[in-house]
Amino acid sequence: MESEDDMHDANEVASVEEEDDYYSGGEEEEEDMDEEGGAEDDYDYSYDYGDEEDDDTGDYDFIANYSDDGDDVLASRSQKNYTILKEEDIQQRQEEDITKISTVLSIPREAACILLRRYNWSVNNVHEEWFADEERVRKAVGILEKPLVKTTNFKEATCLICFENYPCDSLRSAACAHLFCDACWKAYISTSINDGPGCLMLRCPDPSCGAAVGHDMINKLAPEEDKEKYRRYLLRSYVEDSRKIKWCPAPGCDSAVEYVVGSGSYDVTCSCLYSFCWNCTEEAHRPVDCETVAKWVLKNSAESENMNWILANSKPCPKCKRPIEKNQGCMHMTCTPPCKFEFCWLCLGSWSDHGERTGGFYACNRYEAAKQEGVYDEAERRREMAKNSLERYTHYYERWASNQSSRQKALADLHQMQSIHLEKLSEVQSQPESQLKFIIEAWQQIVECRRVLKWTYAYGYYLPEHEHTKKQFFEYLQGEAEAGLERLHQCAEKELMNYLNSDGPSKDFNDFRTKLAGLTSVTRNYFENLVRALENGLSDVDSQAVCNKMSSKNVAGSSKAKGGRGKGSSKTSTSVRNTDDSGNWACDQCTYVNVRSVSTCHMCHHRR
Amino acid sequence: MTSPSASSRKALSKIACNRLQKELVEWQVNPPAGFKHKVTDNLQRWVIEVNGAPGTLYAGEIYQLQVDFPEHYPMEAPQVIFVPPAPLHPHIYSNGHICLDILYDSWSPAMTVSSICISILSMLSSSTVKQRPADNDRYVKNCKNGRSPKETRWWFHDDKV
Repeated sequence: MESEDDMHDANEVASVEEEDDYYSGGEEEEEDMDEEGGAEDDYDYSYDYGDEEDDDTGDYDFIANYSDDGDDVLASRSQKNYTILKEEDIQQRQEEDITKISTVLSIPREAACILLRRYNWSVNNVHEEWFADEERVRKAVGILEKPLVKTTNFKEATCLICFENYPCDSLRSAACAHLFCDACWKAYISTSINDGPGCLMLRCPDPSCGAAVGHDMINKLAPEEDKEKYRRYLLRSYVEDSRKIKWCPAPGCDSAVEYVVGSGSYDVTCSCLYSFCWNCTEEAHRPVDCETVAKWVLKNSAESENMNWILANSKPCPKCKRPIEKNQGCMHMTCTPPCKFEFCWLCLGSWSDHGERTGGFYACNRYEAAKQEGVYDEAERRREMAKNSLERYTHYYERWASNQSSRQKALADLHQMQSIHLEKLSEVQSQPESQLKFIIEAWQQIVECRRVLKWTYAYGYYLPEHEHTKKQFFEYLQGEAEAGLERLHQCAEKELMNYLNSDGPSKDFNDFRTKLAGLTSVTRNYFENLVRALENGLSDVDSQAVCNKMSSKNVAGSSKAKGGRGKGSSKTSTSVRNTDDSGNWACDQCTYVNVRSVSTCHMCHHRR
Repeated sequence: MTSPSASSRKALSKIACNRLQKELVEWQVNPPAGFKHKVTDNLQRWVIEVNGAPGTLYAGEIYQLQVDFPEHYPMEAPQVIFVPPAPLHPHIYSNGHICLDILYDSWSPAMTVSSICISILSMLSSSTVKQRPADNDRYVKNCKNGRSPKETRWWFHDDKV
């Protein structure tokens, strides 16, 4: 029993340490998050476009202005805060880390590997723990300095598993010198590898020993197939134990993504082009936070909504309690066999009690009377509420789902564009394909916008009902976004067809290019602002601000009605600015925001 | 060599047979104190009589352990249960299943029937109260249809008893 107790102790120590690690790491992360949270504050958005939709002059006022902060964030976002790791990269890093530890601590590579594995592949943690208390670490992971048992000089020894006698030189041991024959070692290792990733912490078979069995033993004794499994587990542990690396969740993809914790948006795009949230590994879901996504996904899992539906649209049979839906007909209900109970839908009383004296078969006085006394209120109200909430949910879900399928369609269109249409277009319009990138960019933007739009519906669903102004403003922003995207989609889909199906180069193809590229860029800006605003919880929008925006929009509308182009004047006072601190400038003529380095407007070629 | 009730189990491998024969010989020479192997011609199922150790709650009581060996013994752990009526113990269920880590996760091929027996006797001897595990009824109900304790995902109780 003593040996067993020892093992328990060892396990306990190990688990406590793990917790320590975890918590200390967690704090760092939180701090980082906080710093980041405060960075983005105010930006203002003015979206003014009104009645010009019919004058088809390639004039788009679907414009968003952003202030300095916004641009900084934009700039920092374009620098990647994550790295895609292919299998070779992971292996290489692993090897490098092992080399580092092995050199610094002067221990064999196998031991270094075991140590790193134990401390979640953190070189720093290994250093810290090792130099704090080398003996304890050695004991915990089973890296021995000298054999536990004396090596004997006998010619023969007994394998401690099969109890057969063998010549000493045909027996093997880990660092502890507990001897086992090759056949037993092989079976032991193979059983362990086929049991799962626990084989990475394989110990000497002697129950009281605990000496680690390293990669070198595995390589000598395991068959090729098992060695490969072991290698895979080792590779996986590098990703799965690390707090900074996660596998790409796309099916069939075996890349991993290393993320710089605390560096802003969690959205990452793998080399397989799948975009996902690094934090929760759901598909990318900005501007909605992970918690809301989790709630939404749970809600969408049919179970909970089915319950709501049953609650809203059915009553339980008073006798057998099975839920019954009444979709039409009179109040006389008969439950399905074997129950066959006949009852009144309104009062749920037995039908045999009904007749002339209860006020006829089609109106139940007992129900009316009881309702007046308030007997049915509770249940009725619950049913009513469930019904309302179900309708509300359906509203958002339908739109969420239809944007999802729109996105899938757009993705397919994008692929078709890349693989078929682009070549044809290049021929028809005699343009090199390299000059047609703007079309691909437009489609990529559409796909991205559909994704954002989709999630705004989950956002809208969870926006508190009582925050009327926020809700109003949100719906306004969402509406604008939707309209803007529709225009882009329309242009990329329908208008492009004319050029694709024409007999030869079209004169106005360059105009089309300008228009589509412009729409793409403007839509991108709008959506980026939208995402940021929603991520901020529309926090810069108090009721006052909404009033201002709303009224300023009206002003804009009326000024346009007079044929004015004075859009600058329609913005709230603080945002009247043609240049911002980073030197970007808004064109006087078309309001497009140009980068500092150009002196003529990218959109309309108006000089600054 | 298979017994009727263990018919679903595969026959012992040659390695397992050799090892069990050696264990049996060793047992006959040097049996663990308080245990008696009931001789049968079935190498794959051992029935062992346990005598509660003197001076403990189980002194004078006699129980039966049933040990079934898998094809790849000793790489895989044997299945060890008490033949009901099982001793009243906080880690022993009324259907005879025993919550002891070395029988499951912590099994090592360098352990033997003899070392298991000693562990079980030690577990019995250190008990201070004769009672069933708190979740006995639920667990036993879930084990209907002859489920083996080796299919249970054990969450090991404290190691004091």
